[in-house]
Amino acid sequence: MKRTPLYEFHRTHGKMVEFAGYEMPVWYTSTVDEHMAVRNDAGIFDVSHMGRVNVSGPDAGRFIEGLFPTDIGKLPNGKSVYTLLLNKDAGIIDDLIVLKMDDARYLVVVNAASRTKDLKHMEQSGAGLDFKMDDITEATTMIAVQGPSAIQALQPLTPLPLAEMKRFTHAVSTVKGIGAVITRTGYTGEDGFELILYDASSGSLAVWEALTKRATPCALGARDSLRLEAGLPLYGSDMDEATNPLEADLGWVISKDKQSYVGWPKLSSFMQQGPTKVRRGIIMDERIPRRDFKVTDQAGAQIGVVTSGTFSPMLKRGIAMAYVKTVSSGPGEPVKVVVRDAPSDGKITKFPFYDDSLYGWKRKPHQ
Amino acid sequence: MSDTSAYQVPDGLFYTKEHEWARVTAGTAKVGITDYAAKTLNDIVYLTLPSVGQEVKQLSSFGTVESIKAVSELYSPLSGTVVITNQELVNHPELINKSPYEAGWIIELRPSQLDAEKKTLLSPRQYQEFLRSLEDEHHN
Repeated sequence: MKRTPLYEFHRTHGKMVEFAGYEMPVWYTSTVDEHMAVRNDAGIFDVSHMGRVNVSGPDAGRFIEGLFPTDIGKLPNGKSVYTLLLNKDAGIIDDLIVLKMDDARYLVVVNAASRTKDLKHMEQSGAGLDFKMDDITEATTMIAVQGPSAIQALQPLTPLPLAEMKRFTHAVSTVKGIGAVITRTGYTGEDGFELILYDASSGSLAVWEALTKRATPCALGARDSLRLEAGLPLYGSDMDEATNPLEADLGWVISKDKQSYVGWPKLSSFMQQGPTKVRRGIIMDERIPRRDFKVTDQAGAQIGVVTSGTFSPMLKRGIAMAYVKTVSSGPGEPVKVVVRDAPSDGKITKFPFYDDSLYGWKRKPHQ
Repeated sequence: MSDTSAYQVPDGLFYTKEHEWARVTAGTAKVGITDYAAKTLNDIVYLTLPSVGQEVKQLSSFGTVESIKAVSELYSPLSGTVVITNQELVNHPELINKSPYEAGWIIELRPSQLDAEKKTLLSPRQYQEFLRSLEDEHHN
């Protein structure tokens, strides 16, 4: 099993599990405490298991343009873009972040479990073009600093003026003297940064240790409950190659004027038809929904299935992501989730589950 | 984290390999989950409890305990009739994490076959050994 450069910290402080081929912590002290630290203050996550690939060369821009439904070419340098890798049938191969350094250089951050198939797909799609792909996953460390106090936690370690960065942008700088790409993105719904450190040993561990002075170490358990509360899908659970972007409620990544990329013809016909099922949130009155539980209407007829579920530490209610029939997907629609033979009340809700004027990166600053 | 001595296993209780305990007093037995179970589940956020008067069978499920991530069945160490359930847990399931052997008890029952069933349960020392064997398995 693989280990990240921060493994020694995890082993001595956390409960370890296997995740996507890596030994990772599932919690350090308490998932609830770690979760709330990110909503109210700041938390740090080791996300080094995620794949990081440099794409560069004269045709790099053309290659990237032919790969994604989002028009990355038109964006200014320094943008970080959430987008999808699609197959010919417009099924989702992966969701990922593309950092546009300049027209000839991109950094692509992919899911750990998808890294191998993504690279294979990208190589095949780029046949004949002049560019190279450099997998820098093992040579780097990736740390997410998340929460309303993320700037205060990270700023003492970097000369980069963090408050001046816009969300979904990145910059090249240093963190504790180590070369780093810093991107204002994350997977918690909160404001924050992800650091790609060009070091895979003691230097990164020193950065992590320094961050622990101002932020709470958070593990996979909190990462999952945070992203679920924020309404962010998890690849492999909430979408896969049998899901198209419209069903996944990710149609917003599709640039209107763009037509020449893998999956476009099929996606175009899906767009004309409209999806028959769609990813939605369900908030429960009492019980906790879990993956594969059935969703029914009030009469008991099945209208969907839960793809991830948890207990929301902030709302103190069970919450789920589910695929439901489009006709039954309106916010407020009452549904039942069958919890071990017990049909239990819930209702369809929009993402995020929390009030985004009070929590998350869109929150209004305290007066 | 993997040091089994990190888990409390109080004397005077009976244990199961499913990580429940029973404290037998005059005529009744309180039942809960062990410190190991509570720590392994991490934050306990929800329980389904049996109703008072319900008959439970030894090592069959009488309810569930849920953490953020997962659901686990609760298996009764003893057969008997449920005489009371811990209503404090309805609003404060975290009591199981904080105090698995005292405030975090789950049900109290009147055992029906105490003498015969007691012999099939683990002593504190046997349960400690069982925990050690689990950790050894985990490391191999």
